[in-house]
Amino acid sequence: MVTVAGIYAYAPAIAALPLASFLVALFAGRWLPKEGALAGILATGGSLVLSAVTLVELVLTGEGYDERLYTFVAPAETFDLGFGVLIDPLSAAMLVIVSLIAFLVHVFSLGYMNDEGEPGLPRYYAGLGLFSFSMLAFVFASNLLMAFVFFELVGLCSWLLIGHWYREAAPPSAAKKAFLVTRFGDYFFLVGLVGVLATFGTARFAGEGGFPAGPTPVSALIHAATMVAAGVFLLARMYGFYALLPTVLAIIAFTGGFTALFAASMAVVKDEIKQVLAYSTISQYGYMMLALGAGGYVAAFFHLTTHAVFKALLFLGAGSVIIAMHHEEDMWLMGGLKEEMRVTYLTFVAGSLALAGIFPFAGFWSKDEVLFETLVHGLGANPLLLGGYLLGLSAVFVTGFYTLRMVMLTFHGDPRTDAAADPHGVGWNVKFPLAVLGVLATVGGYLNPAPLAKLTGAEVDFLHRYLDGPASEELLTSAHHYGDLTHEWAGYTAGSVAGGETATMLGGAGLSLALALAGAGTAFVLYRGPDPDRHTEALGDLRTVLVSNYYQDEYQVWLAEGLTLRTAIAADTFDQGVIDGAVDAVSSVSLFSGDRLRRLQTGVVTNYAALIALSVLLGLAAFAVVGGWL
Amino acid sequence: MLVEALIAVPLVGAAVVAVAPNEYAERLALGVSAVPLVGSLYMYLAFDGSGNALLGGDVAYETFFEWLTLGPYAVNYHVGLDGISLPLVVMTTVLTTLSILSAWTPIDDRQRQFYGLMLFMEAALVGVFAALDFLLWFVFWEAVLVPMYFLIGVWGGPRRKYAAIKFFVYTNIASLVMFIGFFALVFGLGDAVGSTGLPEIAQALRAGQLGALGLPGTGAAIPADVLALSAFVAMFVGFAVKVPVVPFHTWLPDAHVEAPTPASVMLAGVLLKMGTYALLRFNFTMLPEQAATLAVPIAAVAVVSVIYGALLALAQSDLKRIVAYSSVSSMGYVILGLVAYSYYGVGGATFQMIAHGLISGLLFMTVGVFYNATHTRMVGDMSGLADRMPVTASVFVAGAFAYMGLPLMAGFAAELFIFLGAFRSTVLPAAPLFTAAAMFGIVVVAGYLLWAMQRSLFGPFRLETDYDVGRAPVHDVAAIVTLVGLIVLLGTAPELLYDMMSDATVDVVEMGGELP
Repeated sequence: MVTVAGIYAYAPAIAALPLASFLVALFAGRWLPKEGALAGILATGGSLVLSAVTLVELVLTGEGYDERLYTFVAPAETFDLGFGVLIDPLSAAMLVIVSLIAFLVHVFSLGYMNDEGEPGLPRYYAGLGLFSFSMLAFVFASNLLMAFVFFELVGLCSWLLIGHWYREAAPPSAAKKAFLVTRFGDYFFLVGLVGVLATFGTARFAGEGGFPAGPTPVSALIHAATMVAAGVFLLARMYGFYALLPTVLAIIAFTGGFTALFAASMAVVKDEIKQVLAYSTISQYGYMMLALGAGGYVAAFFHLTTHAVFKALLFLGAGSVIIAMHHEEDMWLMGGLKEEMRVTYLTFVAGSLALAGIFPFAGFWSKDEVLFETLVHGLGANPLLLGGYLLGLSAVFVTGFYTLRMVMLTFHGDPRTDAAADPHGVGWNVKFPLAVLGVLATVGGYLNPAPLAKLTGAEVDFLHRYLDGPASEELLTSAHHYGDLTHEWAGYTAGSVAGGETATMLGGAGLSLALALAGAGTAFVLYRGPDPDRHTEALGDLRTVLVSNYYQDEYQVWLAEGLTLRTAIAADTFDQGVIDGAVDAVSSVSLFSGDRLRRLQTGVVTNYAALIALSVLLGLAAFAVVGGWL
Repeated sequence: MLVEALIAVPLVGAAVVAVAPNEYAERLALGVSAVPLVGSLYMYLAFDGSGNALLGGDVAYETFFEWLTLGPYAVNYHVGLDGISLPLVVMTTVLTTLSILSAWTPIDDRQRQFYGLMLFMEAALVGVFAALDFLLWFVFWEAVLVPMYFLIGVWGGPRRKYAAIKFFVYTNIASLVMFIGFFALVFGLGDAVGSTGLPEIAQALRAGQLGALGLPGTGAAIPADVLALSAFVAMFVGFAVKVPVVPFHTWLPDAHVEAPTPASVMLAGVLLKMGTYALLRFNFTMLPEQAATLAVPIAAVAVVSVIYGALLALAQSDLKRIVAYSSVSSMGYVILGLVAYSYYGVGGATFQMIAHGLISGLLFMTVGVFYNATHTRMVGDMSGLADRMPVTASVFVAGAFAYMGLPLMAGFAAELFIFLGAFRSTVLPAAPLFTAAAMFGIVVVAGYLLWAMQRSLFGPFRLETDYDVGRAPVHDVAAIVTLVGLIVLLGTAPELLYDMMSDATVDVVEMGGELP
């Protein structure tokens, strides 16, 4: 355990402040001005300041923090069931990102919810506060149990927030579906958690007492199980655990590359702006998984950071457009918004260029590093990684295409509806978050411009140096340590094409930039002009497959209704008919035989006399046979 | 004398309430039930026992005097509490008070008899958990059936007579099977025990003093191992009906659907725990070797109860039936924890008894509050109730998520302990597989509860029955909100109960640890 007095003692407050705003909004929200929004803004603003101070402390002192906060149940046997705070470079940086976005979302909500006169605001801000609390506590969780607990609470908050407009039919259904899909993943997470605890007695993330190596069948099961649900941050958090298994890592990478392309292809044909962004998010998570699987721990976290910024920017920008469009989300009913919404347009374009991976915006640098790490480790004789690289590279073209298609349809051309011709203005509370994120999406790449560092030899790969800092060395969570692990256990080595590492790097970067530009250029050509056509119609049957998301929904509905519900109804029929039928049959037989036996009791004395005589005779006969009198 | 007071106050109170005027019965009953509530909370705070009451631990609040002699056996009045029974007693008094409160709105006929029976049942339930002599325990055990029979049969729904008789006859036959099994053991112990005291019998059995049981007049005898195994099966079946475990569960949905809300709360919250409590006290404390021998079939029954019960809940469209079948599912976890025979397994099973008691009580009470307003429980008859009854709907949401095992609520702690204990069980072969199979229940439970909420609470408001739906009365809301508070309290600080529970259950498994 590393213990530093001082500022770290306040780290729990980073999560506790939004918890307080949850309680305030829930119980007192309706009497407050702005109905809980101000409490949330103050709380997440406080979290942001505290996280920033924590990060500075970490950089200056080079010391981390790993402290138990609360004992869930006193340790017995060897189990360790407690909650704690782990501050290392990974969690300190993530705390800043999460609290920044939580803060900006609260500010933006003033414009999106309060100014639009939405009902149920205290409930909304309570949900948002609980969400921020759960997410922040998840980030500084010091062990897997705590991570699971807050991961589940995040799931609850998603259910609450997705289903916010519960008086309509669709949101509660969507909320249920989202919760059930994550719940299915949580099942594997829980199996993994219980397996880790039961096998190792502890599930701490940091230090020697963390996950021990040992490829027993149980730990293989646990690896597979936790991996299904973990999510990118948790994969990074548990990297020391995964880095030990070569096949698992390569499969993560390949799945990541596949996800990047698969989800991007669905975003191509979507008509609703938020749907494009949703599928794009899945695709970008694919890149992060690709990087982690390929041994690019720093690259993965770098892309996680830049993506958090530019995707938050794009979602808030879409929200701004939706306000302006009087809650219309279909991009075919928009067009020409750039004239009326300068701030939204400019920031949205910055976010889009970052998403598409175009130089010099943030996403270019991080995506390039992801692809570079995959390529070099793939060239080090690992075909699965090379496959993942090719998938990820193809996705770059698709990403460029759907991103620019979205921009063109929303902002360019002529307004296609009255609402688009005369959009509803948005206030400072919408523009301010967009502006902050817009600047970050533009310059965020300089956090870790690895190619510049390699070419010039200047020490500008700040994020890499930060993640390798002394604090993480001590806690055994450093990028360097993970690099050794992947090298030693998973056998990852770097390879390169002819011309050496620099040529590989520059060639790879040039290739991905060219593909991004080609994708974006294609979309620009197809959708320019005042009234663009629906070119995706030309895809024919393929479009139908993509619009219906490769029939995943049908498959899930079949799983829920066709399979599970039918099994349940069959079980019910069986239960009523056979099991309860047997119970009722026992009672019917008793009643029936009772009824028949009752008929002996006729109340007529001569009948009784006859029965007695008959019985005596029968009895005598029986004794005669058994007793051997005959 | 505290235990006696806890039994006597509701017993005398029941007699008083039964002759009081109907107008005052509800308030009088609430007042009477507050006394054991405060008493049991005091007993919780002042608890100074340690260890297991049956295995030579320090019993708290103990009373012992000789009562009568039956042949070679002394039957004593012996009561006392340990870390297993005290939490159950506290839960009984809490749920009785809250059930009485929840009865104010729906019960508008023969109130004095109704509340009299509720108090009588409370006295009998405290007796079941406190008794340490078999015959004394059996008197309380059977006494519980009587008030419940009348509560269902008089104040129940349209099929109340069928449900009440089914409940009574089914559980009574089960008691008979269990009784025979237990006395076969007592006779098998022969001179080794001189009383029907549960501690004496338990310790003699664990010391291996069971002999062959001679069959009078034949010269034949049942060998000790056969005797122990058949007695274990007889007692297990007898208690399994009460729990209930699949396939002995079909009385439960009928009883729940027909019972008035307060009786449902007591039935799910406390009466089912009599079954698991008895399984722990008798089968798993007295005959650990037989429990280990039969571990695989018992674990299979537990997993089937979890999954099959959850699937049945998914197929229902009556809110009460949904909650009733999910009780079958949740009680399966208790059986799994018990059969795991490990520190967290048995401790978690004991914790789950309390967690499930509070959570299922909460859900039944909330369904009752909806029913008072809508006069229907059919999911298809209503939608968008959250629009008219926002607080009650929020409480239902909280209860449903507690049932799904949301962390920081009591159900999660219980399930986590059970899964941990079961996963590393040394007694149960293939323990991780059984555990992983039972865990899948957490997905199905989320499915049927979220679906039920989506259909009945959310969407546009619609009600097929012709009633004005408005906010629920304050006393109804107070009862359900109190339960939510307790569930969150136990979920965030399970130590409040787990400490004393594990102290009492560890003795049960310590010897189990030495089993082959």
